[in-house]
Amino acid sequence: MGLNYYQIKKQVLKARKLVIKATAAAGSGHPGGSFSMAEILGCLFYKYLKYDPKNPGWEDRDKLILSKGHASPGLFSNMAVAGYFDPKDIVTLRQFGSKLQGHPDLKCPGVEFCGGSLGIGLSYSIGNALAARLDGKNNRIYTIIGDGESDEGQVWEAAMTAAKYKIDNITAFLDRNFIQQDSYTEKIMPLDEELIGNDLSEMWKDASRWKTGDKWRSFGWNVIEVDGHRTEQISDAIRRANETKGLPSIIIARTVKGKGVEHMEDNPQWHGKAPQQDIVPIIEDELESQFMIAPSIIAGDMSNLGKEVERCNEGRADYIHLDVMDGQFVPNKTFDHAEIQKLRPLSLLPFDTHLMINDPVKHVRNYIDAGSDIITVHAEVCDESSFGEICDQLRSNQVGIGLAINPDTDLPQWSYKFAEMLDQIIVMSVVPGKSGQKFIESTHEKIQRITKDLHDHKFDGYIEVDGGVNLENIGACFADGGRAFVGGSAIIGQSDVRMIIKEFRNQVLDSRRRLLIKKAHDLGGTDLVNKWIDLHVVGKKKDGLVQITKELGFQ
Amino acid sequence: MSTEHLGDMRTEYSKALVAVGEQDPNVVVLGADTTDSLKTSNFGKKFPERFFNVGIAEANLVSVAAGLAYSGKTAFASTYAIFLPGRCVDQIRNAIAYPSPGDKKGLNVKLVVSHGGLSVGADGGSHQQIEDIAIMRVIPNMRVLVPADSTTVSKLTWIISQQYGPFYMRMARSKTPIIHNDSQEFQIGKGIVLRDGSDCTIAACGITVKMALDAANMLQQDGISCRVIDCFSIKPIDKDLLEKSARETGSIVTCEEHNIIGGFGSAVSEVVSESYPVPIKRIGAQDKFGESARDNEIPQLLEKHGLTSINIAKAVKEVRSKKT
Repeated sequence: MGLNYYQIKKQVLKARKLVIKATAAAGSGHPGGSFSMAEILGCLFYKYLKYDPKNPGWEDRDKLILSKGHASPGLFSNMAVAGYFDPKDIVTLRQFGSKLQGHPDLKCPGVEFCGGSLGIGLSYSIGNALAARLDGKNNRIYTIIGDGESDEGQVWEAAMTAAKYKIDNITAFLDRNFIQQDSYTEKIMPLDEELIGNDLSEMWKDASRWKTGDKWRSFGWNVIEVDGHRTEQISDAIRRANETKGLPSIIIARTVKGKGVEHMEDNPQWHGKAPQQDIVPIIEDELESQFMIAPSIIAGDMSNLGKEVERCNEGRADYIHLDVMDGQFVPNKTFDHAEIQKLRPLSLLPFDTHLMINDPVKHVRNYIDAGSDIITVHAEVCDESSFGEICDQLRSNQVGIGLAINPDTDLPQWSYKFAEMLDQIIVMSVVPGKSGQKFIESTHEKIQRITKDLHDHKFDGYIEVDGGVNLENIGACFADGGRAFVGGSAIIGQSDVRMIIKEFRNQVLDSRRRLLIKKAHDLGGTDLVNKWIDLHVVGKKKDGLVQITKELGFQ
Repeated sequence: MSTEHLGDMRTEYSKALVAVGEQDPNVVVLGADTTDSLKTSNFGKKFPERFFNVGIAEANLVSVAAGLAYSGKTAFASTYAIFLPGRCVDQIRNAIAYPSPGDKKGLNVKLVVSHGGLSVGADGGSHQQIEDIAIMRVIPNMRVLVPADSTTVSKLTWIISQQYGPFYMRMARSKTPIIHNDSQEFQIGKGIVLRDGSDCTIAACGITVKMALDAANMLQQDGISCRVIDCFSIKPIDKDLLEKSARETGSIVTCEEHNIIGGFGSAVSEVVSESYPVPIKRIGAQDKFGESARDNEIPQLLEKHGLTSINIAKAVKEVRSKKT
């Protein structure tokens, strides 16, 4: 399908919500492992995998083999989003007579492998890959195995076989979420090093412990290691794996079990347990409120933007905000597409190009070609017709579509017609033109209003707040409805970008937790608040939540 | 058939495979480091691109075969019996028998093994698979064949290459007496009456068919007329023939180179007890493992487990005495 970064993220969100719906309805199932591979499936289903949901048996299709079959809710949810069946059917998961069996099954058209008994899928994929080779077909086999599954000796039999036969039409993934049914993988059967104690940071944050990649390399595989929740990294890894000839490739995706829902994250209890129905609305809100931090590099050293891009990489930004100013729409001038093109090879992070220029319709092509992932133009210099033209161009090139408004501008009436296809609205919280200005307080009210308006017009993109965002106001901006935050001097102007981005995230998380506690209280009073808080058993999350609850006067 | 003509099952399997492969480019053959022994390497020499030796990795063997079959190939996977049903029941069940695309039942994989039963001999009890018929016939969608001679092997190799779905075919290690003429027709699910009789039915499979015929000859001298059936198709089993034989001969003796629990004798008992109950006696390993025996000692090993024509003849007399 070849969707862009933003569209993939939206589909991943839809699928995650269906996983919750399905497992809650079934009263059992495996949300944890469905969420750890959510972004992997997102990149496959909406970018790389060739398939036709109306003709599941299409001869030249690619095949997706979910060897870690217990994560079937994740597979089925994406199949529903992709159009294999009506998403309403997802609630029949594990029901008598349903095609949505407890584990992936050929009973459901489009499923390619009966999973469940672990260790089989990679061998089976090799069989399919050999058949494709014999038939001279160019289709690919994508196979997902688990880290707990890697205890099975057969995985390593298959690893040897793939190397012997130089199978290069499989792209395998290891969903390295560090948890298996009984506990953490490094306690049950270490793939890296045995874990003493319960400190997860020992395991997955300390790269010196990682040995799994070496295992695969020593078996003759091309190994690509990525953060398995970063779409841009996964996507790039798949591209590289698919281009690798003469040896098999595996993408080792370091993931978090239960990713997306704080109480499920890194918690072995959620390997195979369904959420209770009264918790579901809170989980849905939590999933809906994903957010992104985007440093704006013009706040840094303009004479060495390449270095600023690298600081964003190291700082684990979600994307990079590129302010293009032409000296006409705004008084200042920054850089143009030529500079973006130069910066592009330095980062996989999505380039969030913000065109503060006149006549954007005349220039947008250059910024597409320069490698932007999303391009935002100003409403002040567009009308319905020129913006329509811009949308068409962006869409046909799989580039995200953004629209920006200045502090004294409201969304023009024509813009609502595009609400459904917009990936992003930038609400300027300073007068654009230069870095380092103070946040305009009335922006809070404006974001709230726009959030509501756009919701009514089926907008499902991100509202990005741009200008003067800092540690003091980011929480409030999130509560208003902001979901992406541009940080100029407050991030890129700091010496430790990684640390400051972490602090930005913590502020947003704190704000989000408050909203969720309020939601729980609205739905079920103190009882539900306490029930929800009690689910947070890993780390010190619970203490923080209790503190917030006290502050809110709910306890 | 007094002078024994011997035939080698593996040789006939190999020849048939090559012939099948010539006719059908969709046929692929997989092995697990026993391909010279199974003689499937002949297929590999002729069609190297359609031949895969995955090493000593039987779970992998079965699952790679399943993947090839899912992509439209007819996959023959072969090694010794002890390493397929004996080692890989999970992969056989979950990767071959269970997955059912559309209206089909199971994937198109043929598991053809050698070294079934006690007559493996010298390798010893660890290599003498006496549980495979039980293991394989209990799996839905799986069909189980135990040919009596090399002629049957050849014919069945052709038949299963053309019939969709999972099959298990068990061959013996040693050369075996030729029972059938080349003109004999075989049909999955149909037994072959080798000799008609009215006093008792001896139903046999594999190498015990010859013993059954010898027993029938002996009994004839005592005036007892036996019907002998080659039940090479254990699943599906020839229910009609077994019911008819129960009705017409009033008693049945079953023979198998396998544990009497869950095997061929059990299959016959299940059918007969539901359709036309008559006394049955099962000849086979009495829930005991085998042990080493050199080639010239294999008859002794079989004898220890009751597998002789004399013992079959005794069983016929015993079972007849129980007729009501």
